[in-house]
Amino acid sequence: MSGKINLVLAALLVACALSVVKAQYIARHLFIDLEALQQQARQLDIDWAQLQLDQSTLGKNARIEQIARTDLNMTPLTPARTQYLTEGAK
Amino acid sequence: MKRAGENKKGERVAASKGVKFSTSPLLAVRLPSWRSRVVLFVLFTAFVALAGRALWLQAVSRQFLQKQGASRYERTLELPATRGKIMDRNGQVLASSIPVKAVWAIPDDVLAEPPEKLKKLAALLEMSEAELRKKLDSDRTFVYLKRQVEMDVIDKINKLDIDGLDTRKEYKRFYPQGEVMTHMVGFTNVEDVGQESMELAQQKTLVGATGSRKVIKDRLGHIVEDVGLSKEPHDGKDLTLSVDSKLQYIAFTSIKEAVEKFHAKAGAAVVLDVHTGEVLALANWPTYNPNDRTKLTGEQLRNRVITDTFEPGSTLKPFTVALALDTNRVKPTTMFDTTLSGRYVVGDRTIRDTHAHGMIDVSTIIQKSSNIGVSKIALAMPPQEMWEMFTKSGFGQAPRFGFPGAVAGRVRPYKSWRPVEQANMSFGQGISVSLLQLARSYLIFARDGDIIPLSFQKVTEKPVGQQVISPKTAAEVRAMLETVVLPGGTATQAQVPGYRVGGKTGTAQKVINGRYSQSHYIGSFAGIAPMSNPRFVIAVMVDDPTGPIHTGGGVAAPTFAALAANALRAANVSPDSTVTEIIHAEPAQEEN
Repeated sequence: MSGKINLVLAALLVACALSVVKAQYIARHLFIDLEALQQQARQLDIDWAQLQLDQSTLGKNARIEQIARTDLNMTPLTPARTQYLTEGAK
Repeated sequence: MKRAGENKKGERVAASKGVKFSTSPLLAVRLPSWRSRVVLFVLFTAFVALAGRALWLQAVSRQFLQKQGASRYERTLELPATRGKIMDRNGQVLASSIPVKAVWAIPDDVLAEPPEKLKKLAALLEMSEAELRKKLDSDRTFVYLKRQVEMDVIDKINKLDIDGLDTRKEYKRFYPQGEVMTHMVGFTNVEDVGQESMELAQQKTLVGATGSRKVIKDRLGHIVEDVGLSKEPHDGKDLTLSVDSKLQYIAFTSIKEAVEKFHAKAGAAVVLDVHTGEVLALANWPTYNPNDRTKLTGEQLRNRVITDTFEPGSTLKPFTVALALDTNRVKPTTMFDTTLSGRYVVGDRTIRDTHAHGMIDVSTIIQKSSNIGVSKIALAMPPQEMWEMFTKSGFGQAPRFGFPGAVAGRVRPYKSWRPVEQANMSFGQGISVSLLQLARSYLIFARDGDIIPLSFQKVTEKPVGQQVISPKTAAEVRAMLETVVLPGGTATQAQVPGYRVGGKTGTAQKVINGRYSQSHYIGSFAGIAPMSNPRFVIAVMVDDPTGPIHTGGGVAAPTFAALAANALRAANVSPDSTVTEIIHAEPAQEEN
């Protein structure tokens, strides 16, 4: 009787030990994935900063003015050429 | 019992072969008894040695061994923190850190590489091969070849596969607005430490704290587990400035054009928000590009709005008049005799007006900028009251807006004022202010007589003002300031089509070698726009215009007009005047 219990317990122990190994293996894999995704998040942050910078560089007032004046032949607005509409006025 | 029986049987089997164990001749040999003891002793000492070794490893050198073990699979990673971004009030990025790499080398290893590789490396690092070899010609084992190399170049360098060459992660700060914004934002050095302006002033909040973590790495270099405590990195805080990129650009181009047009040495302009005290624009010329500081000079670096003081000249007259109005000593219509000769003797000195104005009222004294008129008003008041007025307006007071290099200017204590000095100070001589102080003091007139603190960061709460003059006086002075730009005033060129504006010109002689120069001037203009509901205070200063025109009304007023016109349009302020075309009349001749 006690020999049988020992056998069952031994089998359980081996099963547990193997599952620990398996769990650790899975955990490490998941951790590697997590790391990769965190790395990706950092890279996206960097890209975002870079894009913001590009937006600011390309949207520089000096550049806009130059393009408006030379490429698009635009001229600044003056009040003399502007019709102002007041809300509610007849 | 059974076993015993078997044994007996076995004995019998062996015995049947003819040899009896019990009678083996070997057993009959008697060995000396000490031999067994020696063996026992040797075995015992061997065990003692083992136990001793085990004790040594487990107890004495355990820490060392564990450390050695850990160093074979554990890695401590440094987690870099990014310096905070600087943005303008609308969220446009003014300064941002992007990761780059520093290239360093172990000279001996790199020099052992084939020459064509070194040639390619030199080309990628944008230096000549001789330069590269000079850098490598060193006794040290660590030499920086180039710092802040951008990532795409690093990829190309890695492809060369040079032994003894490595990189280190660092950050490079980019300033997309370049020279336009630099006097506001400043810059950092190669170590990411702020050196100028807001980068310096806000260093503590902008800089991040690097973190670290301990990890176990597997054979392939993957992180598989965190061990021990990790320290989270803290990125620096982003900073939102009060500055508006659009207004800053307008101020910058206006002042740049003015300096070129009037052949001046330098120029500066500042725009303040009347309601919040925010600095919306702060421009200087000459300036520099913060992204390329190789040829930087002190002249370019100088932030004239904040660090330079000058004698404000006539821009100070409204303060004397405001004090007289506020203490009910005069009314805007009170008449003063500014003499028909244009000369007025105080003590041993003569105060002059270039044009004699005769009998004029207080309002006209401001409009025509009469030195004699304002001196007469000043001399009717005790020096202490004038000193208090100047001090309350912020002159001679250490600025408290947290900008590096901000100066206090100078107002001498009233006890030492002689009457002629008091008269001089009423029209801005013998007193020194910075352009920013001058602009701030005009908030008193633009608001209803109170002055508020300035801010270089975006303001979310309504600032608390300190009352200096009554709202009624402020309105009276505003009306006078408006007459200055109207026909008959000294700054007709400051008119802005579509808007009512007002302000005061100033022309100060520069002090050279302790004497007033007759050929070097600083022309300034401090103004308010639009008059019906003040939104901006704009101050402009043009230093040493060497062309035919040198007065504040001639050089600073048109600069103000150009700046104000564009700023009002950019800020979508609705026009409050029906005058849309302006034909400039000759401005009235102004005094100092």
